[in-house]
Amino acid sequence: MNELAQLIEESATRLFEDFSNGNGHELMEAGQFPDTLWADFLADGWLTTLLSEDDGGAGLGLAGGCVLMRLAGYHKVPLPVVESLIAVYLAAKSGAECTDELIIPVVITDPINDQSDINLYGVPWARHAASLLVVFTRNNATRVSIISSQDITIKSAQNMAGEPRDDVTINVSQLDNFSELQGITIEQIESWLALSRAAQMAGALQKVLEMTVDYANERSQFGRQIGKFQAVQQQMAVLAEMTSASICAVDAAIDHLNTEQEWELIACAKITTGESAGYACKTAHAVHAAIGFTQEHPLQLSTRRLWSWRDEYGNEAKWSAQLGQRCFELKTDNLWNWLTTQTGE
Amino acid sequence: MKKLNFSPVLTGEKEAVLRNQVRSFLKNYGDFNVSNIIDSWSICDPELSRALAAKGWLGMTWPTEYGGGGRSYLERYVVIEELLAAGAPVGAHWVADRQSGPLLLRFGTEEQRQHFLPKIVKGECFFAIGMSEPNSGSDLASIKTRAEKVDGGWLINGSKIWTSWAHVCHQMITLCRTAPTSDNRHAGMSQLIVNLDNKGITVRPIVTLAGEAHFNEIFFDDVFVPDNRLVGQVNEGWSQVVAELAFERSGPERFLSSYQLLEAAIKELREANLTQQAEPIIGQFVARLMVLRQMSLSVANQLQEGKLPVNEASVVKDLGTSFEQELPEAMRLILATEPRSSAEGGVARLLSDSILKAPSFSLRGGTREILRGIIARGLGLR
Repeated sequence: MNELAQLIEESATRLFEDFSNGNGHELMEAGQFPDTLWADFLADGWLTTLLSEDDGGAGLGLAGGCVLMRLAGYHKVPLPVVESLIAVYLAAKSGAECTDELIIPVVITDPINDQSDINLYGVPWARHAASLLVVFTRNNATRVSIISSQDITIKSAQNMAGEPRDDVTINVSQLDNFSELQGITIEQIESWLALSRAAQMAGALQKVLEMTVDYANERSQFGRQIGKFQAVQQQMAVLAEMTSASICAVDAAIDHLNTEQEWELIACAKITTGESAGYACKTAHAVHAAIGFTQEHPLQLSTRRLWSWRDEYGNEAKWSAQLGQRCFELKTDNLWNWLTTQTGE
Repeated sequence: MKKLNFSPVLTGEKEAVLRNQVRSFLKNYGDFNVSNIIDSWSICDPELSRALAAKGWLGMTWPTEYGGGGRSYLERYVVIEELLAAGAPVGAHWVADRQSGPLLLRFGTEEQRQHFLPKIVKGECFFAIGMSEPNSGSDLASIKTRAEKVDGGWLINGSKIWTSWAHVCHQMITLCRTAPTSDNRHAGMSQLIVNLDNKGITVRPIVTLAGEAHFNEIFFDDVFVPDNRLVGQVNEGWSQVVAELAFERSGPERFLSSYQLLEAAIKELREANLTQQAEPIIGQFVARLMVLRQMSLSVANQLQEGKLPVNEASVVKDLGTSFEQELPEAMRLILATEPRSSAEGGVARLLSDSILKAPSFSLRGGTREILRGIIARGLGLR
C-alpha cells in the first residue's frame, strides 16, 4: 500500500496544487462547473485508474482511489473527484460502458414505493452530471440504473463549502432498466462512499494541522510567537493527535478492504474523522483568530469542507449507532474475540 | 514539523496461532487470585508471571542467547493485549519485560545482559522504575538523589517515590544525579541497577485512594552499587530514559486498563434490554478502541523495525488514557447502576474500581501535559 500511495502522491500532487491555485473555488461556489480543471483531470487519465487493466484502468482499486481522494481533500480540489471515481468503479462492476462524461453515484436506502417519485436529498454535483448511477435493492439483489440527468428533476443546493449538493427527483419507472451488481451489497456501497469522504477528510485535517502550525510559528503577540505559549501548544498537540488518529483510521480501513473486517474499520474511519473535524476546525480557528474567519484567508476552504463532509454519507452518530448495534448483535458474549479478528488474522 | 507516522500493519497467521495459544492458556489457568480486574497490569501475582514465563511469554522479543523468545514485537503485542483484555494480573513482571530488559539490551553491558535477562525471562527477577522523587514528578530533570563515586562503585543517597511493587521487585533501575547541576539540566544523570535487598534501603508503602498498597517511597542511605551495575554511559542517563519511553508509552496497557467494564456493560445492557439507547455510545467507544489498537500495533511494528517512535508513543498514551478514563464516565450514564465498592463483582464493582483508579491513568508514565508538550515539540512549536 505504501509504495502505491507514494506513486499516486507523486503524480497527483502537482495537478492538485494547480487546481487550488486557480479560480476553481470561485467558479464552483458561483454555481459553475470548473471545466478546465475537469479537462485537466481527465487528460491525466485519473477517471478510470481504479479499474482493472482488463477494464481499461490502472488497477488502483478502491484502495488506491482512496489515496487519491485523500490528496484531493488535502488540496481542497473543487471537482467531483470522489464521486466520479466511485461511479466509474461501480459502473464497471455492473458491466456498463463508461465515457469521460461525469457520472454521480446515489444510493437509495429507504424502501421504494412503486407508486411514487423518489426524492434524493443533497446529491453531489448532480446539476453538472451527465447521468446518475442509482444503486438500490430489489428482490435481495443490488441493482444499478444509470439515468440520464435530462430525465430527472434537479433543484440546486449547496453544502457549507459551496459544493453542489442538489435535490433530485426520479421516477420509480426509471429504475426498470437496470443491471445487477453481483456479490456486492448496498451496505458495502454505502460504506465505500463513507470511506471516500473519510479519506478526503483525513487529507483536509492534515492540511488544517499544517496551516495552523505554520501560523502559530509566524504570528507574534506579547513579543513572541503564539506557538510558544503552552496554552496554544496543548491545544495543537490534541489537534495533531486527532489528525493522526484520523489518518491511521482511514489507512487501516483501506488496508482492510476485502477482508472480513472491511465494514467495521470503515465505520471507525468515518467516526474518527467526524469526531476530529469539529475539534480541528474549532482549534484551527482559535489559533488563526480573526484573519482565519475571513474569506480572504484560505483556512475556510478546508474548514467549511470538514464541517460539511462530516455529515455526508453518515455522520459519526449514525455510524456509531450501527457499530454499536453490531456489538449487541454478537452471537457470543465475547466482544474481544470480535474486536481482534479485525486485524486480518 | 515532523510528520507523525502510524502506517497500519496487518497481523497474520503466526499471530493468530499465538493468540489462540494465549486464550487456551487463560482458559485452563482458571480464576485469577485477585479481588478485582480493572487495571490488571498494576496488580501483582508472581505465580502467574512464572506460569507465563514457562510458556515463553516473557522477554519474547529478546535474542535467544539471553533466553529470550526471538519473536517479533507484533507477536508480543498479541500476547500482552490478550492478557490485559482478560484482566490477568501481570504486574509483577510488567516493567522488566516492557522496558528494563529492552533498556539493558540497548545500553547494558554484556555481563548485565547475561546476568539479568535469563532471570527476567524465567519470571525470577522483577524490576521497579526508579525515576520520580518526592519533589520531582513531571520535572524529572530536577531529581536530587545522588550517586557519589567511591572505590569500586557508587554510593546512593536520597529517595524515590511512586515505585510500584518495590516491596516485591528484586531490582530497580534508578536514575541518579552523578555530576553537579549545570546549565544543561539534562546532563549529569546516570542509571544504576540497584538490588532492592541491599543494605541501607527502606521501603515505605503508600496506600492509594482506591485502598491498594502497590506503590511505595524508597529511601537510600549510603547504598553501595558496584561499578558493573551502571547502565550505559555515566551522565548519559537522560537520553537513555527518553529511549525507554517509546517502550513505556505505546503499549495496549495505555488504553485497556478499564476495558473489562466495556465488555461487562455490553453484556448487562443486552440482558436488561437497554441496547437501543446505548448503541451510539457503545459504538463510539468501540471505534476509539479499534483505532487505538491500530495505532499501537503500528508503533509495535516500528519498534520491530528498530525505530524509536517517541512522539507516536506519546500520542498513543494521551489518546489511550483519555479513552480509558472517559469509558467509566460514559458507561455510568447508560448503565443506570450505582457504583458499589463492596460488590463481589458485576458492573457495580467494575464501575467503582475504574472510577477510583482512573485518575492515575494519565499521571503514571508521563502526565497528559508532559505528553502534549512532547508532541508540540515534534510539531516544531517548542
